[in-house]
Amino acid sequence: MTEALAIELQGVQKRFGRVPVLRGIDLRVQRGEFLGLVGPNGAGKSTLLRILIGLYRRTEGRCRVFSLDPDHDALTIRARTSYLPGETSVYQQMTGESFLRFAQSFHRGRDREVEQRLVELFALPLEARVRSYSAGMKQKLAILAALSVEADLYVLDEPDRALDATMRMEVREVLRDLHRAGKTLLLSSHHLEELQALTTRLAFLRGGAIIAASEIDEARATLRRRFRLRLSRDVALPTGAVCHRRESDGTMVLEVDGPPAAFLQALPADAVASAELGSARLEDLYELLFLKSPSTTEGALS
Amino acid sequence: MIARKTFGEVWLMTLVYALMMVILQVPIILLWPELYDDLKKSALLRNAGFDFLQRIGTGVTDRQEEVAYRNWIALMLFLRSVNLLGIAASVLLGTALFARERETQTLEFLLTRPVSRGAVLWQKSWPVVLCVVVPIFAVNTSAILWSRLIEMDLPLLPLTLANLHGSLFVLAILSFTTFVSVNCRVQAHVAFWVGGIVVLQLGIYLIPRLRGYSLFRLSDFDWYGPILAGNIDLAQMFVPWLGPAHSLWLLLAIALFYGLSWRSLRNLEL
Repeated sequence: MTEALAIELQGVQKRFGRVPVLRGIDLRVQRGEFLGLVGPNGAGKSTLLRILIGLYRRTEGRCRVFSLDPDHDALTIRARTSYLPGETSVYQQMTGESFLRFAQSFHRGRDREVEQRLVELFALPLEARVRSYSAGMKQKLAILAALSVEADLYVLDEPDRALDATMRMEVREVLRDLHRAGKTLLLSSHHLEELQALTTRLAFLRGGAIIAASEIDEARATLRRRFRLRLSRDVALPTGAVCHRRESDGTMVLEVDGPPAAFLQALPADAVASAELGSARLEDLYELLFLKSPSTTEGALS
Repeated sequence: MIARKTFGEVWLMTLVYALMMVILQVPIILLWPELYDDLKKSALLRNAGFDFLQRIGTGVTDRQEEVAYRNWIALMLFLRSVNLLGIAASVLLGTALFARERETQTLEFLLTRPVSRGAVLWQKSWPVVLCVVVPIFAVNTSAILWSRLIEMDLPLLPLTLANLHGSLFVLAILSFTTFVSVNCRVQAHVAFWVGGIVVLQLGIYLIPRLRGYSLFRLSDFDWYGPILAGNIDLAQMFVPWLGPAHSLWLLLAIALFYGLSWRSLRNLEL
């Protein structure tokens, strides 16, 4: 494994008893990369993150974090990693302040700038006991504790859970700044548009395996896409295309099912004055990938 | 930090536990002269159908008041207070050690910090050990001072040996409770298993022909009485070929359950 890699997984499997949860994960994350982990509940996202942090032992396969094996060097990995568990983990009997200091005490230092920023943003009553906090406040405290420590890798399991839209956007900015500062981030979330906006790459997990890039490309090609199309003369639109509106200059805004190239080829070439293709929505891709029957395809998403 | 946090969680319970020991201790010492007269007049215990009750009755009504008083202390401070309050404190404090963290989902937070699981177990255990043991030594040793008020002598060395043995007994319960706490997801299950086993052992202890099979035989009047009388020394408590070595078995039980707790925690996948 080269030094450029923060995480390298090869054929990682995890079974609980006879129940397979991960079925051979192959994944490489570069240092400084921001990887989003997408998948429905039970896809194995949290299990994967817990293996990386050394909380679970993999059943089979090879796993390296900073060139170290989490099964044997978990403490060294954790010293360089900040992990936010999927379930809100805060001590009810502590005050917010004492929990924050407690959480920070395990790491090599505090990121005072991030801490200050999040304290102001969240406006938590840190002097009050955590038991008096609402669910959202507890999650904010957990995020504050996870992001305000010095680390090279941030592993965040659904940090945006229980946060309102405004807070999610603010947290997104903090994550973006950490990424700009060269930190490696691994984030699992159900908020697809935020993942798309934040991350440099997405890995789709389904049934304990990462969906192959080729399958995703294939799925992406069949998605309903939005076109802005201007015709030089009137022609009949191919089936699968729905015109939403016609603008003053004659440009049509269309929704088209299936591969865009096939749609354009179905039009007479001399009739197309201009065509502008909109990007596919991640939600549509998600729906297409996860409403299909589970595939056995495994592999890394490039 | 983990030890500090643990201590912060249990200090109030420890204070209450120590206070209850004091409340149960002071009257039985200050009222001893009257109680001794009453006991001498009563033939109930001496004529009881069970041999161990007869031994208690004979012990606390001995013609030599000093001997009777030490037996009284063995009965009240150790057979009663240590067994009753010490076990209750061990079960209450030990139950919360890990099972509560699992219930409140904070164990995942703790086990994903750069601290080994062995260190987590140790830093959570030693504050609780102190909280259980210090009140036993402190409160029971204060009996020497209270005894002076009624002009009775209670020697320090036998009392300290009895405290040591009593502490080992409750620590054995604590280490067993810790082991169960590591392996259970909710506190109620820990309380069910540990409470059930303690009640079962107590039940066996109260059956005359079976009481030899109860763990409470390791911490009863027949053991504390001779220690306080000065008939059993430190070597006899720990060296099998010199004496019954009950304390050694308790020490080994503590080590065994601590080791099992560590192994369970090391292999724990939440």
